Amino acid sequence: MPMIIHSSSQVPRTTLFRRFPVPRNLGVSASSRIAPGRSWPAPAGARRVKIFDVYRYDPDSGNSPRLDSFEVDLEECGPMVLDVLLWIKNKVDSTLTFRRSCREGVCGSCAMNIDGTNWLACTRFVSETRERPTIYPLNNMRIIKDLVPDLTHVFAQYSLVEPWLKTSTVAPESERLQSPDERRQLDGGWECILCFCCTSGCPSHWWNADRFLGPAVLLQAWRWLMDSRDEATGERLDDLEDPFRLYRCHTILNCTRTCPKGLNPGKAIAGIKKLLLERRS
Amino acid sequence: MSTSSGRPLSPRLQIYRPQLTSVLSFTHRLTGLIMGLYAVALVVWLVAAAAGSQPYSSVQTFIHSGVGQVLLFAGTWCFFLHLCGGIRHLFWDAGRGFELSTIYVSGWIVVAASAVLTVATWIASWMLSSSR
Repeated sequence: MPMIIHSSSQVPRTTLFRRFPVPRNLGVSASSRIAPGRSWPAPAGARRVKIFDVYRYDPDSGNSPRLDSFEVDLEECGPMVLDVLLWIKNKVDSTLTFRRSCREGVCGSCAMNIDGTNWLACTRFVSETRERPTIYPLNNMRIIKDLVPDLTHVFAQYSLVEPWLKTSTVAPESERLQSPDERRQLDGGWECILCFCCTSGCPSHWWNADRFLGPAVLLQAWRWLMDSRDEATGERLDDLEDPFRLYRCHTILNCTRTCPKGLNPGKAIAGIKKLLLERRS
Repeated sequence: MSTSSGRPLSPRLQIYRPQLTSVLSFTHRLTGLIMGLYAVALVVWLVAAAAGSQPYSSVQTFIHSGVGQVLLFAGTWCFFLHLCGGIRHLFWDAGRGFELSTIYVSGWIVVAASAVLTVATWIASWMLSSSR
């Protein structure tokens, strides 16, 4: 049944609206408004053309962002959305700027908003996209250029949960050991690639990015709370017990819906809330 | 952040695809807000009843008008949507129902149950008022 989503990798098909019925420029500052851009025709002799609308922003131009449309020859291009971007950069407009590295979904660099939801460009098939796909950078981020967001703020939030092993006991002679069961507690947390698809797709983070930590960072907070070797659980919980840092999560669950690694930040956040409740009783 | 603030903010609500997750969350908020307004309307109705037959009958006339009935029906639906959504939230608060398929199944159950309960309430109230 298409109404029931079993895996975050399923592309939405049954939504009534493609976007919320709000004005395009609702609450958008003048410098962030997206103007119509230019059309880039396919090179002569293109055989199978698909048009992609791509967000562009050039900091040196002094102009506000715009939406360019590119005609892409799918016959000449690889199967993934990242291949499309590379094809555009190589064949049409070499100034198109985006991050990419591993091209196989383990580095998290090419996270972006494709057809309205966040995913990695390297693991999204062109065949899964709409008739006329849209490509925007991650949402609610300051844009450095084109599809490259400034991640300084979200990484600062990440450092706030001190994502490293903290101990107060004397360091043992060898490694700090875990049982297989203790190790299993970290599953679903360590796989996070910090692409920030979830955080940037979280409405609560849109409204309170300055103080709410967001799903990606809270999933990592959970990962360190769950670590049997970590000895700072109490301090970590103290730092999280805050109306904004943690409790701005209203269980919207866009995070779990969009995670390109199939992780469950929503569940992890509920776990943190439960730990805090248990501690109080 | 000084260099950052000159940079444009990428679009969010304007372009993010509505999904059952976000739509139900927003409607839960919205119906909660609307319930607050209906609570005021309920007080108006009670005050009118206490004030005597003349004010009460004029409020009753409005409630039984076309607009009044539509508002009452919408209010019933808001009530049940918020109630069912609230129960769904209680499961989440207990740490349950976070698998993606469960999130979607429970979401659609909330939508369906609120519709069924709304219609059932109206049928029941019609039957009660006509049997009197």
